[in-house]
Amino acid sequence: MSASTSASAAAAGSVIHDLGYRRYDGPRLGRAQIIRALAWHSFRGAFGLGRGAKAKIVPLVALVALCLPAVVNAFAMSKGNPRLVDYDTYTPALRDLVMTVFVAVQAPELVSRDLRSRVLPLYFARPIKTIDYPLAKYLAFTGACLVMMEVPLLLLYAGSIANVHGGSAVWAQTRALIPGLLVGLMWAVVLAAISLFLASLTGRRAFATGAVAIVLLLTFTLAEILLQVEGQQNQGPQVAVVKGGPPGGPVHVQPILYVPSLADKVSGLFSPFTLFDGVRMWLGGTDPADGVSSPGGFGVVYALVLVAILALCLYGLAARYRKERLS
Amino acid sequence: MTPSTGSGAGPAAGPAADAAGGALAPPVIEANALTKVYPGGVTALGGLTVNFAPGVTGLIGANGAGKSTLIKILLGLVEPTNGTARVLGHDSVTGGEQIRQVVGYMPEHDCLPPDVSATEFVTHMGRMSGLPATAARERAAEALRHVGLHEERYRQIGTYSTGMKQRVKLAQALAGDPRLLLLDEPTNGLDPAGRNAMLELIERIGVEFGISIVVASHLLGEIERICDRLVAIEGGRLLRADTIDSFTRSSQTLLIEVEEGLAALHDELVRRGLRPTTYQRSLLVPIGGVATYDTVRDTVADLGLPLSRMEQRRHQVEELFRDPGRTSPDAPGAGFGEQEAADVR
Repeated sequence: MSASTSASAAAAGSVIHDLGYRRYDGPRLGRAQIIRALAWHSFRGAFGLGRGAKAKIVPLVALVALCLPAVVNAFAMSKGNPRLVDYDTYTPALRDLVMTVFVAVQAPELVSRDLRSRVLPLYFARPIKTIDYPLAKYLAFTGACLVMMEVPLLLLYAGSIANVHGGSAVWAQTRALIPGLLVGLMWAVVLAAISLFLASLTGRRAFATGAVAIVLLLTFTLAEILLQVEGQQNQGPQVAVVKGGPPGGPVHVQPILYVPSLADKVSGLFSPFTLFDGVRMWLGGTDPADGVSSPGGFGVVYALVLVAILALCLYGLAARYRKERLS
Repeated sequence: MTPSTGSGAGPAAGPAADAAGGALAPPVIEANALTKVYPGGVTALGGLTVNFAPGVTGLIGANGAGKSTLIKILLGLVEPTNGTARVLGHDSVTGGEQIRQVVGYMPEHDCLPPDVSATEFVTHMGRMSGLPATAARERAAEALRHVGLHEERYRQIGTYSTGMKQRVKLAQALAGDPRLLLLDEPTNGLDPAGRNAMLELIERIGVEFGISIVVASHLLGEIERICDRLVAIEGGRLLRADTIDSFTRSSQTLLIEVEEGLAALHDELVRRGLRPTTYQRSLLVPIGGVATYDTVRDTVADLGLPLSRMEQRRHQVEELFRDPGRTSPDAPGAGFGEQEAADVR
């Protein structure tokens, strides 16, 4: 009563009076366009756009951090150095860390908030299908991860071609860039699926962030430890391997050459990041000294595991919201 | 579970006399032998057959009566185990998206993000209803104005009172220009003043905006004021569906509490032609008209009893339908749920 009284009082005091209810007979967006609108809204949300200043801190810092090597490279190249950073690996340690932070903090922003505030029934009551909600979120977050991955590469490219001369040099840079962009796409597609699925399991944002961060860091650490264990066993006895011959006979000392064992290759299957690396090298990428070693023909297993993880996470995400609708 | 458990006659057999004038308009909702059995064997709806005419209709039922399940089926979010439902001409199973295009839904529970402004939120929800960006902004502003949120609409929702939040929930349902609103317990959590304001708002939307409304509630006394018709369900079945007049005519009772002399008052009221029943430490008298109040007043005065309370009782739906006194000959609709009850029109 009191609220409506004050409302009508306010209306009477102002020039614009109650115009009454007006129907809407303009165009209506179809399902695809609504998905697009939701995806765009979520994409902006992944960078804190349209939100308060606090929401922008993490994505902005993360993006700047990832872009710094490209800027440093441009500076170095302008001083006459060759290109310092590879397009396909970019700075691996930095990228692992920053992307982990980014998806751990921003995936909950996209899905956990809506769970927390219980706004989902309002989405389900809209003229879209239940699957459209996770679909839009996934498209949005893949796009956001893609920005995080590709913008530094494009900066690197821009800085590089500004400092090389001649069409062939530019073409060489371009040819090197393209695999890098594809690697970025692989990262974005998989990381978005993993982090959104994990984040969608809880409406508590802190838990969601923790879950994503722990799963990504834990699996990575696990894979790294296994790699080191395997690596040490490989190099371990510096005395080398005794081959054949009866006791007392001649001893053939094999030169210590690091050849990844099967166990070594299997270790790389435990973390998305080592999987990315393995698949990248399997497809012909450079083989950095540290991290996973080139899986060779085993790379197809890396690719299959990666696809399986992607499929499982997407299925889990869809199932999560189907269950949410019925609850 | 056969679907034929629905009570009675279809629309064709509905009463010719339709006080609310909705006789020619097609029903906004037609439920036919609607059954929903959840996995695990819980029957939420057991063969519900009922039509909702245009206008404001109260959907009355205790908690667990099947109201929320019915609403979810009507929105096309839950598939019925058996039977069909049509909303504004669309089948709930095959035409869910068309239904949700023209139906606004206000859930019972809290469903608002605390850290955005009402304007942003309602605009976004308007877009999700299929409005282009500009139209969504305009309609969000209008919807918020209609529900009585003015300057506050730029504030974050987290700073709102419960009453204001309920208004935002209503505004987001209005933003997409629905032809039908499904409101689930819209007065939940509001104080009496807030309840009145919300009910007035709903009535206004129904009457002035010409939007059909279904108001689900477990408090009959509250929504009977604003509804043209009532549909009462219990245990997933139709108890009764009728216009509000025939519903309440026989349902109003007067509660009288005296400090002493309850038995004497009871006898005297019987002698004067009323039918009091003892209820705890007070008497309940069916209200036959204005004269009932006078009779009670005079009786209390004549007996010189210390009257401590006399009020018109607000019914909760359970007692309305359970009260055996209601099935007396002077209540024409007493055989509810049997004949014409199936059609609210």
